[in-house]
Amino acid sequence: MQRRTFLQGLAAAGALSGLPFSFAHAMTQTGSVSVESLPKLEGDLTLYLGRGEGGLYENVLKAIEKRNPKLNLKIRRGGSAALANTIVAETKAGVKRADLFWAVDTGSIGMVTDAGAAKPLPDDLTAQLREDFQYPSWSPVTGRVRTLPYNTERVKPEQIPESVMALADSDLKIGWAPAYSSFQSFVTAMRILEGDKATKSWLKGINKHSKKYAGELGVVMGVERGEVDIGFANHYYTLRLKSGKPNANVALAYSKSDAGCLVNASGIVALSDGDLPVNFIRYLLSHEVQSYLAREAYEIPLVQGVEQPQGLADLSTLSPPEMDLRKLADLRPTLNLMREVGVL
Amino acid sequence: MTTTLKKMSALVLASAVTFSMLSSQALANGAIGDHVNNLHAHIGEYTEEVHWLESKFGSVVDAYEAKDKSLKTDALIEYWEEVDFHSAIETQYVPIYASIWQGIYGVKVAIDEGKPVADVRVEQEKLNHALWQALGAVKLASQYQKKGLVNKVQTTEKEPTTGPEVIDDIKTRLDRVVAKYAEQLHEVATTLVHDTYLQRFEGVEGDLIAKNAALVEDLEKDFNVTLPQAISKDTGVDSVRKVVESMQAKLDRARALLVEVEQSRKDVF
Repeated sequence: MQRRTFLQGLAAAGALSGLPFSFAHAMTQTGSVSVESLPKLEGDLTLYLGRGEGGLYENVLKAIEKRNPKLNLKIRRGGSAALANTIVAETKAGVKRADLFWAVDTGSIGMVTDAGAAKPLPDDLTAQLREDFQYPSWSPVTGRVRTLPYNTERVKPEQIPESVMALADSDLKIGWAPAYSSFQSFVTAMRILEGDKATKSWLKGINKHSKKYAGELGVVMGVERGEVDIGFANHYYTLRLKSGKPNANVALAYSKSDAGCLVNASGIVALSDGDLPVNFIRYLLSHEVQSYLAREAYEIPLVQGVEQPQGLADLSTLSPPEMDLRKLADLRPTLNLMREVGVL
Repeated sequence: MTTTLKKMSALVLASAVTFSMLSSQALANGAIGDHVNNLHAHIGEYTEEVHWLESKFGSVVDAYEAKDKSLKTDALIEYWEEVDFHSAIETQYVPIYASIWQGIYGVKVAIDEGKPVADVRVEQEKLNHALWQALGAVKLASQYQKKGLVNKVQTTEKEPTTGPEVIDDIKTRLDRVVAKYAEQLHEVATTLVHDTYLQRFEGVEGDLIAKNAALVEDLEKDFNVTLPQAISKDTGVDSVRKVVESMQAKLDRARALLVEVEQSRKDVF
């Protein structure tokens, strides 16, 4: 953990003496900071942007540019993994084209940090993040959690086991989307946490009393219609469905300390030294941007003191497993296992 | 065809060509020459190529009719890949490009399977029709290009940045799925469907769920089950095209919803 109180010594105070008062004051706070107190961004910045929530990330970038007319932001867009590979290759070749990398998944971030391309972030920045999401060389932006959406007419919360592994032996009818990438990441987490043998047995067990859907929205809608009792899906499908249909017969349950409640995060890495990339990251962690992504995309804000999307259990009440999320990048053994069992 | 019907077809084609060109351009397999950004100067050449193709395709069918044992139907594909007109139509209007491939394989398969000459001639007629229709589309595109109404064909793919732009891009990619299927590149077509879903549709489905969850679920099924199955079961170009056209109609509804979402969105700051 890096969380620590900033400005503990005179040296730190001296380092802040040249900054605007409001920003210097904001840096002494842990938790979210208003964009009003952040320094203006000036100069050239190249961002590699992994595809995310449609136009929402784009809207954030446009808003930052509008607020900072002297910022010359160049954006290269692509898949997160492909951009991470590019950054690794550029680093090996000694060529640096990007100043920042904003990826939708932690696996892609891991490729870049493992390659030694990431620059360390200042303590006051990482201290803004929730305690479990503070890292020295990258900053999570928002999160998503694996959930168990269940039909409120067919299932009582007490019928749902706390362990996702126990669902394989339950008599609940289960909806799943084995071909879906988020589900495959979840199975990868299970492999890492429980081992291949237990995961194989779990897949076989679930397969006996499950119904397959093409995607995880399909799972949530199948649950809501009562085709199945419970399902596996990222949290935002249920929240979005309920925002359009508040009386939908679906609610969220969470398993405890296992792959069933895995939290994955989008994140950003500074690839260049200097204040500009770091200050750009501060904008993404600002109260306004975090609230916007929570409100519009139902993503989980990972900065302290920002309200979560409506309908989601407080992150502090969840117990995601302790694991290195970067390991989720290697899907191949998972796909092989799923094919072997016959669920793909 | 009546005059009115011809005019209507031209109008539909014109709007479709415009739409196709205004959308971000995906690229042909193989090198694309500079000629695609200067179509007007090459119309004469393209016209010659269409005549040449018609003649060459005809000679293959003639050889089949004459029971020429040295006949190789792969020549049909080689002729098509030899001409500049190939990338001209591929970069301007993918649906007709797909029809040309469908026509080429229609003739090829009919010959390879030893069908009666009359059946092969029917396929040849369809192929010729697609070629001339394509030339019409390229001529029309050249007019738009000359007036500066369309962007240059890009040599790298342009990423859409708004929800409605993403939908336009998905529709263009689905046209390419039909084209790749018609080229008999089934794995490429399937990968394109998968990538389009993951890299494009997943990014906009969130906004659509609150507006019309049933529509999103329907499209999820189309992307993950209906279209991949139509390709893997090899149900034919017309069948795959039908699935794609049905998806494109649903995507038009999705686009309208995303425009509403964009208009009602609050500012970030």
